[in-house]
This record gives sequence, structure tokens and C-alpha cells, in this order.
Amino acid sequence: MLVSCKENSEPKQGAETTEQLPSNSIFNLTSDWQNQDGKTIKLKDLQGKTLVVVMIYTTCKTACPILVAKMKMIESKFDRKDIDKINLVLVSIDPETDTPEHLKEFSIKNEMTGPQWTFLRSAENATKEFANVLSMKYKKISPIDFSHSNIISTFKPNGILVSQEEGDINVDKVVTTVNQTVRKK
Amino acid sequence: MKHLIILLFSIVIVSCSKESEKETVYKNLEGNKTDTLQSIQSTVKMVYIPGGEYKPFFGSNTTLVSVAPFLMDERAVTNEEFLEFVIANPQWQKSNIKRLFADTNYLKTWPTDITLPENALKDAPVCNVSWFAAKAFAQSVDKRLPTLDEWEFVAMADETTANARKKPKYSDSIIDLYLQKNRQFKSVKQSPPNYWGIYNMFDLIWEWTDDFNAVLTTGDSRSGEYNDKNLFCAGGATSATDVMNYAAYMRFALRTSIKADYTIGNLGFRCAKDTTIIKQ
Amino acid sequence: MKHKHFTICATTLLITALLSCNSTNTTKPETSSAEAALAMVAEGNPEVAEVTGAPKVPAPIGARAAKKLIVNLLTTEIEGIIADSIPYTFWTFNNTVPGSFIRVREGDEVTLNLKNDGSSILPHNIDLHAVTGPGGGAAATTAPPGKEASFTFKAINKGLYVYHCAAPPVPMHIGNGMYGLILVEPAGGLKPVDREYYIMQGDFYTKASVVKQGLMEFDNDKAVAENPDYVLFNGKKGSLLGANMLEAKVGETVRLFVGNGGPNLTSSFHVIGEIFDNVYLEGGSTVSHNVQTTMIPAGGSAIVEFKCEVPGEYVLVDHSLSRAFNKGCIGKLKVTGEPNEKVFSAKTLTKE
Repeated sequence: MLVSCKENSEPKQGAETTEQLPSNSIFNLTSDWQNQDGKTIKLKDLQGKTLVVVMIYTTCKTACPILVAKMKMIESKFDRKDIDKINLVLVSIDPETDTPEHLKEFSIKNEMTGPQWTFLRSAENATKEFANVLSMKYKKISPIDFSHSNIISTFKPNGILVSQEEGDINVDKVVTTVNQTVRKK
Repeated sequence: MKHLIILLFSIVIVSCSKESEKETVYKNLEGNKTDTLQSIQSTVKMVYIPGGEYKPFFGSNTTLVSVAPFLMDERAVTNEEFLEFVIANPQWQKSNIKRLFADTNYLKTWPTDITLPENALKDAPVCNVSWFAAKAFAQSVDKRLPTLDEWEFVAMADETTANARKKPKYSDSIIDLYLQKNRQFKSVKQSPPNYWGIYNMFDLIWEWTDDFNAVLTTGDSRSGEYNDKNLFCAGGATSATDVMNYAAYMRFALRTSIKADYTIGNLGFRCAKDTTIIKQ
Repeated sequence: MKHKHFTICATTLLITALLSCNSTNTTKPETSSAEAALAMVAEGNPEVAEVTGAPKVPAPIGARAAKKLIVNLLTTEIEGIIADSIPYTFWTFNNTVPGSFIRVREGDEVTLNLKNDGSSILPHNIDLHAVTGPGGGAAATTAPPGKEASFTFKAINKGLYVYHCAAPPVPMHIGNGMYGLILVEPAGGLKPVDREYYIMQGDFYTKASVVKQGLMEFDNDKAVAENPDYVLFNGKKGSLLGANMLEAKVGETVRLFVGNGGPNLTSSFHVIGEIFDNVYLEGGSTVSHNVQTTMIPAGGSAIVEFKCEVPGEYVLVDHSLSRAFNKGCIGKLKVTGEPNEKVFSAKTLTKE
């Protein structure tokens, strides 16, 4: 017990759970997130599946609905036998409005309720940190509106970024990238 | 028996927590513990900035942005302060840092993890640090990075006025300072402070802000208005409000060219802090 | 009678119609040139392209097929001499003003790697006018100090194109010398000539640096007023004079690749004592002949060709002559060889 106490009081070298992680894995972010079921997770809980990640906010009226539609299109093009190796993650840039309940509602309304869909929100600081890892720009331009870049990113099961599609996103390109990543396993 | 074990276990946990009294906990969601940093002391004087309204460089010509009162470090974080930080927090040392948080030029001039370069001044601003590293430092001294609006609000001032932007030589005199080679190697506070008492806003380094990524343009801003709805959802106002302010163009050009993990030889930072004080 | 008259009219009309149809055929614009280049396949592994400093140009592409090329450019901020012994802060591609000359072929696939030197203070990027795509590559290549960025483009339009830095504030980056030329040769290459040279004109706006004694730097106000202190070939007064004169021999054909980086002024390019046999107008595909002075817009170019017939020193100028004589826009081509009295004879008549 005393020995383990001593270990705890030494400055952290990096949590032991991240030691096996590659140095550039997104799972090195240790922030807490809530998903659409109200469960608190860490990003590394998403480890083990190829991730397709986008940042949106549910009350967005302009490009986000298109992004969401593209995510659904991308999902529909995956082989059903691959689907359990893939996680499509939508991260909110408006965590105050996008509570877990709100995210759940959104997921039901948009028919994104299978286990392959994950909706996340966290506190502002962690959200900003996450956006910066994705090189995503965003700015609150009114009490209810955000201006942000449109990027869909693909990550390997160990959290390393494979590629990003920006702007007018080519759905087929994302699907190809994800399939290649899944196969490489 | 089972209860006794649980009780003993709890005592251990509690006493371990007590031992890590000094740890600053970065609170995230509803008090959940996430990243732990050893806190260090900061002796930097912080200046009260009363805030107000200002016209941002990228934005609407008619809508002013409000800046709430805040505290700002009077000068940038120095080499010796950052050294103290990495000694206390080895996970932020050069050879331990995760590649996610900084590129390969992180503290590249430092000969070892915990020594400054031989000819580096202890009180010169620290550079070759990423946004993640700057943020971690700020947390360890119980502060944060200034926001872009806060930084730009303070940047409006010259030595004698709070808003010197209309002065004919405002932009030119800043550019003169920007173009000085190797300014990043000099000590802090060697030039007069501005109206607020803040030093070296222009004559040492580029500085990280918390939301440097809130400028939604690309590196090519020749079209005055940037409105590509594909690239940026709700593009918002991205035309410059003062096209003669070349100094601001240069500063924003730097901001839009960097990513959070970049470490640049003339890019450092200073800290800020919230305040509830309202001074007249 | 009427019937015959009618036949003659009708025939005349018919012939005219046919002839005009034919003539429209022969002057049909080359709209398919870029499409044809698009279809060209660039073969092989990427190789690093040779780039050169003015006034030299890389070797002609000749008859080679389209290939994959890599062009490496380094952006730097350095002190150089602008005129007499006056130092100026230049911002450059590859440490020269103008930047290196890039020579490719239509159909080539070019990967452009832009590195911003660690000692730079500011971010830089590149916009090549030869590129079809957003910003000519500017957004894709913006690099802060110490960083690199790159993109790939297919050269689908032949011609001589300007490239320049487009980081904000753009007039400042160009005013400090961040421009150069990229030549996209047609398949088969340009017709061989004896001498080829690279010249680029630019206008310079200067003021004294408050920070370093004697050093000159960009003057924003003068640039906005378009009132330069210097108008120069190849970024330095005298860059094509004295020991640096261009050279050719009598009987040789000379081709000049002339660019104008601006940022503001248009050039009236003229070689005193010579007439351009061929001028590729604005660096494009239309060739004009027997031209004395050709206009080169800011951000544009021209290719001029002439044959040297008579020895002597030929002065290159911007024929807005105050720029030549007062602001430094003057260079020389020295032609050596046997006199050619048939073309030019300067015997003075002695009075009896």
C-alpha cells in the first residue's frame, strides 16, 4: 500500500494506459466526454475501431445538415460485415446546448442509433483541444451560431490520423480510406 | 472482513490524494479529474484590463465585439519559467512529450530536457512551444491563455493611448518592430510598456492565443470577403475591417498559418486570467 | 441578262461564304490546347527539376515526354544590396530576386515543395499563374517560419507565367521581391535559339528602417500611391550592366523571357537598337512580329526573340523612360562580332 502511495505522488510520466499508445495517437487526450446515452468515457474507450470523426452542432442550419447527411451516406456504403469495426463519431462544438439528452434526440430523429454511431460532448476546453488536434477552426458568432470548418477525419484503431477531407467532402474518398484502414488490420 | 478491506483501501486512497496536494487538477466535466499537472509558482505581475468594446480586424464594420475585464501577464513567459515547468512536469519535456501535442521542433534549441541553450537569456521569451504546451503551462500556474479578442484589445494601445489604431503611424511603427531580425532572443521588458502597462506586444515574439483557430480564412486572403460555405459552415464575417492595417494582416497571417502542434522559433505566449473585479 | 447577273452574284456570295468559312477555320482559337495537355500522361518516377537564378535559365525541354517533376523552393528574408551600396530587406524564393526560373513541359505533373526558412519572421506561400486551381496554390502552401507545405499540379496551359508569394499583405510580399517565372513549354519544346535569358522587372518602394541604421525596407504609403523609388531589372540596380551585361554574338538568335513582378507598374519593354522579330504576347500563344516595344502587365510576362545583326551595346529599358534613367530600369546586351555595314553604317560625312 505504501509503495503504491509513493508511486501515485510521483509526477506522472503519462498515464500508464497511454504508454502503449503511439505518441501521435489522439487517445493521448485524457479528457472526459459524455456520449448520447449520458455515459462518461475517455477517448481511448473508442480504441480498437476505425473512426470517422466530424465536428458539428445539432442546431446548425447551414452546412452541418449536409455533413450529417454525408456521414450517413458514408455509413451506408460500408460492408455490413465491416460495420462492427467502424465507429462514426460526431463531436459537438456546442456542448452547452448539445447535452446527452439532446444528442440522443438528434440521433433518433436522424436515424443514427446503431452501435456504430457515437455522439460526444465535453467541456469547452476539452472541445477546443480536440478541435485543435483535428486542425479544425471554429468560432461562436452569435449566442446560437458557430462558424466552423467542415472536415471529416479518419483515424486508425490506435488513434493515429489517416487522412482528412475538407470542404465539399467526397463521400467515396472517405469510404475508400476507411475500407483500406479496416482491411489493414 | 470485506468491509474492513474496503475501509483500509479507502484510507489508502485518501492518504495518497492528500500527498498529491500540490497537484492542480484540470477540471473537465462536472468535476471529473482528467490531466494532472504539478503546479508551479508564477511571479509575473498581472495587469487589470478593464475591457470594453472594439472593432475586430476580421469582422463586421458595424458590430463591435465586447471584451470583459480580465487580467493579463505584463510580459511573455520566459525561458527560466518554462524550464521550471518542465522540471516539475516531465511529461512536457522534450524527450517525453507526445507527438500529438508538439512537432519535432519542440524546444529544439535546448541541449537537454532540462537545460537552456548556452547563449539563451533566462528572461528571454520561451519559443518553440506548441499551443498544447502553452496551455499546459498556463494551467500549471492556475491561469489560461488570452483569447484572440483580449489580445487584440490590448494590442490597440500604444504607449499613451488605449486605442491608437487611427494614428497615422500606428501600423507602420508596429511593422518596423515586426521586421527586426532575432528579436525573439532579447530579454522581456526592455522597451517601454503600453498604455495599460503591458510589455512587448510587438517587439519580441508572435504569441499564442486560446482561440487562434477562430479566424476562418485560409492562407490566401486576396479575396476580401471569404465566404466559401463548403469550407466553412456559416462563414461569417471574414473581411478585414481596416485594410491599411498591414501589421494586423501580418499578425493574422501568422495565426492562420499555424496549427496547435506547431512549434515556431519566434512564437511564444503569455498568460491571462478571469477576474470578477470591475474597475471604473 | 438578269439570270446571268443573278448567277454571278450568287456564285460570288457562295465563294465568299466558303472562303470566310475557311478563314474562320484557320484562325480557330486553341481552346483544345489545355484539354489536350490534360490527357497527356506524365510518366516515370518524380525527379527534381533544375531551377536557375536570373539571368540564366534551365536547359530546354526539347522533345521529351511529359514527366513527373519535383520543384523545391525555399522562402527567406535576407539583406541584399538594392542599389549602389544601399542594403534592403528582400523577401525571396531561393535567396534571389527574382526567384528561380522553373522550366517544365505541358502535361508535366509538378509537386511544388515550399519550405519557409527557420530564420523567417513571417509566413509565406506561393501562387503560380501556371496553376489551374484555388489561389494558384497559395492556400495549400502557406508555411509559417520553419515549416514546409506542398501541393501537386498538372501544367495544362503552355506559356510563360509569373509566380509570387500571396501571403497577406500581398503588395508587401511582392514589393520585397517574392516573384519569379515558370515556363511551360509546348510538347516538342520552343524552337531552339542560340541564347536564352531571364529578366524580371519590379517596382520598389523604400524607406529607412527605424531599427537598423542604413537599412532600407518596404514603404507601404509609397506603394499605395504607386510612387516607387526604384524600378529595376532582377532586383538590383546594375544587375545587367557592366560586368553583368548579357552577351550574344552577331548572327545569333536571342530569346528573352521577361517577367514583370510589379507589384504595381506595367512595363513598356524595349531594346534600344533592336526590333523584336517575334513577341509571344503576354507570354501566351499568340505571336506578333516586328515589334519595337511590348507591354508587360504587372503579374505578366512576354517572350521576345530577335537576331543579332550588328555588334554593339543594346540597352534594355522600360520605355517609360524616367524609370530607365532615374529609377534604375536599365540593362545591356553586348553583341560582339564583325560589323555589318549593309544593316548599319555610321560613317560620318567629312565636309570638303
